[in-house]
Amino acid sequence: MNTSTLIFVIAFLALFSYWFAIQRTIKLAGGLAKVKRLTSLPRQFGTLTAFWCGLPALIVLLIWSIFETSVVHSILLSSLTQEVNQLPLDQLSLYLNDIHVIAAQITDGELIRFDEENLKHRAARYLVETQVSADWMKSGLVLLVCVCSVLFIVSRFTADFQARVKMEKIIGGILWASSGVALLTTVGIILSVLFESIQFFSAVPPLEFLFGTEWSPQIAMRSDQVGGSGAFGAIPLFAGTLLITAIAMLLSIPTGLMIAIYLSQYASERLRSIAKPMLEILAGVPTVVYGFFAALTVAPLIRDFGGWLGLSVASESALAAGLVMGIMIIPFISSLSDDAISAVPKSLKEGSLGLGATPSETIKKVLLPAAVPGIVGAILLALSRAIGETMIVVMAAGMAANLTANPLESVTTVTVQIVTLLTGDQEFDSPKTLAAFALGLMLFVTTLALNIIALKVVRKYREQYD
Amino acid sequence: MVDMSSAESLLSQDTQINGTVGNCYSNDAKMSMRDVNVYYDQKQAINNVSLDLARHQVTALIGPSGCGKSTFLRCLNRMNDTIPICRVEGGLTLDGSDIYDKNMDPVLLRARVGMVFQKPNPFPKSIYENVAYGPKIHGLSSNKAELDEIVITSLRKAGLFEEVKDRLDAPGTSLSGGQQQRLCIARTIAVSPEVILMDEPASALDPIATAVIEELIDELKEKYTIAIVTHSMQQAARISQTTAYFHMGQLVEMGETSQIFTNPAHKLTENYITGRFG
Repeated sequence: MNTSTLIFVIAFLALFSYWFAIQRTIKLAGGLAKVKRLTSLPRQFGTLTAFWCGLPALIVLLIWSIFETSVVHSILLSSLTQEVNQLPLDQLSLYLNDIHVIAAQITDGELIRFDEENLKHRAARYLVETQVSADWMKSGLVLLVCVCSVLFIVSRFTADFQARVKMEKIIGGILWASSGVALLTTVGIILSVLFESIQFFSAVPPLEFLFGTEWSPQIAMRSDQVGGSGAFGAIPLFAGTLLITAIAMLLSIPTGLMIAIYLSQYASERLRSIAKPMLEILAGVPTVVYGFFAALTVAPLIRDFGGWLGLSVASESALAAGLVMGIMIIPFISSLSDDAISAVPKSLKEGSLGLGATPSETIKKVLLPAAVPGIVGAILLALSRAIGETMIVVMAAGMAANLTANPLESVTTVTVQIVTLLTGDQEFDSPKTLAAFALGLMLFVTTLALNIIALKVVRKYREQYD
Repeated sequence: MVDMSSAESLLSQDTQINGTVGNCYSNDAKMSMRDVNVYYDQKQAINNVSLDLARHQVTALIGPSGCGKSTFLRCLNRMNDTIPICRVEGGLTLDGSDIYDKNMDPVLLRARVGMVFQKPNPFPKSIYENVAYGPKIHGLSSNKAELDEIVITSLRKAGLFEEVKDRLDAPGTSLSGGQQQRLCIARTIAVSPEVILMDEPASALDPIATAVIEELIDELKEKYTIAIVTHSMQQAARISQTTAYFHMGQLVEMGETSQIFTNPAHKLTENYITGRFG
């Protein structure tokens, strides 16, 4: 049986044991009418038994799957002749690879002619046989675990058996494990990026990466190649990111806040119920589409307008990308700030109006200060979005790593460079490719720092009302 | 306790509301309301109410829940303007000028007719800033010293200064419930209003804090005209000079507090005061 069939069989057995335990429980109570005498409901007994049937079997299956490959591998090695075992490591792995290919052909019935004299053919047949018996052992063991644990738990059923308490403990454990998955994923991402980054930093000194002002990741593959010096100074990239993000925030924070104030304080209920969902649609537009808009509409517009003013504007300018990115994140700020302002207790608003404050004074002096935690949260979420945004910048801001503060020139950002470094055929041990991971790590650290600041700010201002 | 059927019979017999019983007008009225009707969309919340708020007196508005007394109170400083579906009709005047006139700025009106709410609602600012809020907005002081003076005087009038004088920078929300409510009263006084409207100002407070507030209200009437909505009949009896009894959006009876509580003219008033319903 292969693993997916086995999981299906375990699920079926669990379902069956659920029914089985319920029947046993009713019998134990002495009929359906007397189940009240038990400490738990029959279905709680059933669920507990189903857990006992499935969970240990799945754990055994998981452990088996982890170790199966290496055990089979060492069995195969020990079956091979002395001289094969003494081959250098790269030749050995080549040899083993051949065996695996032939074995796969045997299993699929694609091997044209089995050659009894060929050592590799014989080893492959041995490998197939080992795998088949390992499969049988796995299935047998897992099903045995299923049956034994069900019999064990059912044998312990008595009238005052605490099935519900035990079941809830198991469910609690499952919930705990689920949150562990999210946590482990985060740790895994950090570790994988960190590992590649360390490799990168062994090729390029961290100081050069962090403070270098020249970015040109092309590396000469041959000594006679022209160009491609390979400079890994990340400053121009971060400067570009900063420039574009700053333009985006300069557009989106005031606009978003004003929208939020209008919607929460001045707009009629009807207008609000139409306008707010429409704004939120803006957040759902794919960023590629924003990219078209930036590259085909906004950038030429800015270039023409700049030409009219007598300024020289690059056709891919930071301004175009920043403005369109700003439009993209307006809904984040407006919608979340609107919620934050609306959540301020009505009594505060009335208190201020009751003192003869105008609606405008009330908004500026009471509502906005009280909504600061929510607004800061909205801005930081938008900021993280802006820093991580890739598509718009790829299409509208260009690839040239210029170190400039002029928004009319072409710049590039961290995310754009990660994309260009990793797309296409790349070798995974050159600093050029590894640089992408170092950039990713830097980006991760930056957004993490922003989130920590956000938490601090929110906590500082939170307890002020109520 | 009265069961539903007998409560209904109480209403049906000699408990018809045919206009207001008693004396709802005053010779020295600070505010006058004539034939006031209030609607929420189609639903009528106030039905033809006319009454005066006598100058430098405490007028108590009492009645069962949902009788419209809070709605009526909120008409007096146009607080109902913040509710889009609310419509107010009738003649409402402050010192003879129509407060719903289109030339009347509700912002200026609210500076003259202050309001204290049911639940203490200090701003998330310091004690000092809470009281200074109104004077700053209306430009009542030209420098810091004057502002300090206004804040301290207001806190003193609200009977709070001695308790908070060492911690004026502490957040207003750090005070106890009773102190918070006195802070809100101080905040209202700081704008020097002429009328103070109070919507169950002591309903969220313990008996001791309530006693302090009541004493304060009694002192405040020397300078201000006060209208107070209350659920506590003892409170109305203790602090008010005039009492108005509302029932289902109508003003049933109004008169001197001592007379209302000892010798009510209308059967409904009597039932309510003696605790037979409400």
